[in-house]
Amino acid sequence: MWRYAAGRTLQALVAILGVLTIVFVVMRAAGDPTLLLVPQGASAEAIDALRHNLGFDRPWIVQYAEYLRDLARLDLGVSVVQHIPASDIVASRLPYTLELASGALLIAAGFGIPVGVLMATGRGGWVAGLLGTLVLAGQSMPSFLSGILLIAVFGVVLGWLPTSGADDLQALVLPSLALGALSMASFARMTRIAVLDELGRDHVRAARARGLSMTQTVLRHVLRNAAIPVVTVAALEIGNLLAGSVIVETVFAWPGIGQLAIQSIEARDFLVVQAVVLLVSAVHVATSLAADLAYALIDRRIRLAR
Amino acid sequence: MSGTGALVVEDLAIAIGQAAVVDGVSFAVAPGEVLALVGESGCGKSLTALALLGLLPAAARATRGRVMLAGCDLLAGDDRAWRAVRGRLVSIIFQEPTASLDPLATIGAQIAEAYRQHHKVSKAEALRRARDMLVQVGIADPDRRLAQYPFELSGGMCQRVMIAIALICRPDFLIADEPTTALDVTIQAQILDLLRRLAAERGTGIVLITHDMGVVADIAGRVAVMYAGRIVEVAPVDALFAAPLHPYTALLMGSVPKPDAVPKSHLATIEGSVPAPGEAGDACRFAPRCPKASDICRSQAPALGTADDSHLVACWHPGGVMA
Repeated sequence: MWRYAAGRTLQALVAILGVLTIVFVVMRAAGDPTLLLVPQGASAEAIDALRHNLGFDRPWIVQYAEYLRDLARLDLGVSVVQHIPASDIVASRLPYTLELASGALLIAAGFGIPVGVLMATGRGGWVAGLLGTLVLAGQSMPSFLSGILLIAVFGVVLGWLPTSGADDLQALVLPSLALGALSMASFARMTRIAVLDELGRDHVRAARARGLSMTQTVLRHVLRNAAIPVVTVAALEIGNLLAGSVIVETVFAWPGIGQLAIQSIEARDFLVVQAVVLLVSAVHVATSLAADLAYALIDRRIRLAR
Repeated sequence: MSGTGALVVEDLAIAIGQAAVVDGVSFAVAPGEVLALVGESGCGKSLTALALLGLLPAAARATRGRVMLAGCDLLAGDDRAWRAVRGRLVSIIFQEPTASLDPLATIGAQIAEAYRQHHKVSKAEALRRARDMLVQVGIADPDRRLAQYPFELSGGMCQRVMIAIALICRPDFLIADEPTTALDVTIQAQILDLLRRLAAERGTGIVLITHDMGVVADIAGRVAVMYAGRIVEVAPVDALFAAPLHPYTALLMGSVPKPDAVPKSHLATIEGSVPAPGEAGDACRFAPRCPKASDICRSQAPALGTADDSHLVACWHPGGVMA
């Protein structure tokens, strides 16, 4: 197990280094960042001076080494707009996005997985059918539309829930729904396929031959075997939820990093944008790593095979 | 033995869609008896086996007949009734032992589960019984095996585990669906030996589904030969091997390789192929491939009738075919 975990962690570190390098190259390839930082109509001397100050006139290899050194110290630079460290800005917004993504993941998995199981086992009758339709509708609708519909129905017409802000748990419900609806169908579909696949296996028939009911068989033997593709979906969806939060946070005025990304792009605050990109990429790599470790916990063969 | 008497199948018919795949199969197994159900692939023997436990795949259904055990018709029961039968009164083992075990559960958990399904005991007690059962099916080092997973065991060992699961509740009957087909020949002999010994010791009646005449000769007491969804001959194993009465049985035995045959001579085969379900109509289903077929064979199906005391055959011209 430890060898497997160490190997996977090493791979994740290599992936992170790759991400850092790509971000570095893209930031330079997109043009001279100095031009983004100077005020409109600055003189050529002023631009040169700033470029020299920021070190953008040095060889790229030196810049790269310095960039990595700064990152190693968690120094992401200082926001040119707010004049405070970019890492502080991101850190102040991150809890909101984590809260929103957790709420959305809870809704997506909490509804998607049971609906997938019900659809696969053909149990639950019309309730499962209705839920399946709802889940599909959730995915077919872009979140800027479902978000506005949710606001209109539950916020404006019914007045049950707040429509914006992040003051309390009630405020979390609508944005979580809007964000989670997208992932719910992925969970439902993958769970349905995985469970159907498993139901056709010999060991399920053998479990029934021992006198187990269908429900017992599904709970004891099918779900665990079907878990690996579902864990894969979960890892991918966490990444998608962070990406999706850019839109949902804007619709619901939710002060997370999605909103921060939009605001920073508009303000040309490129070091903050870079910090957000690095963070989201790191989360992607970290969730993949977590999924790899989860596989090994679910299935002993995986940790022994490699 | 709880003394439930024989397991009796009466006029069982199974259809997939509109096609009758098994059509009027009847046989009985007494406690302690080993009945072999023999036939080619697709003759309906595996579906018959699954029907005995109510485990037919979704596409198939029993359209007619009864499966009688202890005075009850199992086919008339609901899912709850079936669950009380499965594993407790009638058990089954399958062709692919490795695939028949949950890959993510330990051997011990799966054997113990079979016991706890029908007995109110603690997990520890069930595991203790599982350990005893592993010893009985001849698995060495049972304590280590209990904690292992199916992928850590060989195919032969997995089949021993399946037998342990099948027999831990001391069922009256065991259905063995091609239990040794996926195994090496040496392992095959060990598994058959184990089945024979357990059946004799516990008085378990065994229905052994196979296409292998060697297996039949090795273990069966009586043989029922199936062709295209019907039973064409039933006889004690010695009588059947000495003098097969149905031409199909005779040809089937002729297609078994013999050690004293001329080297590299052609193995006898049965010309033609099994008719598709529903194709035969009223005729004897073997008539198109039968060397003795006459007009009556092509117009009227023969019923299973008594040839002598214990020998039944469904043929208009029984006996005397030499392959």
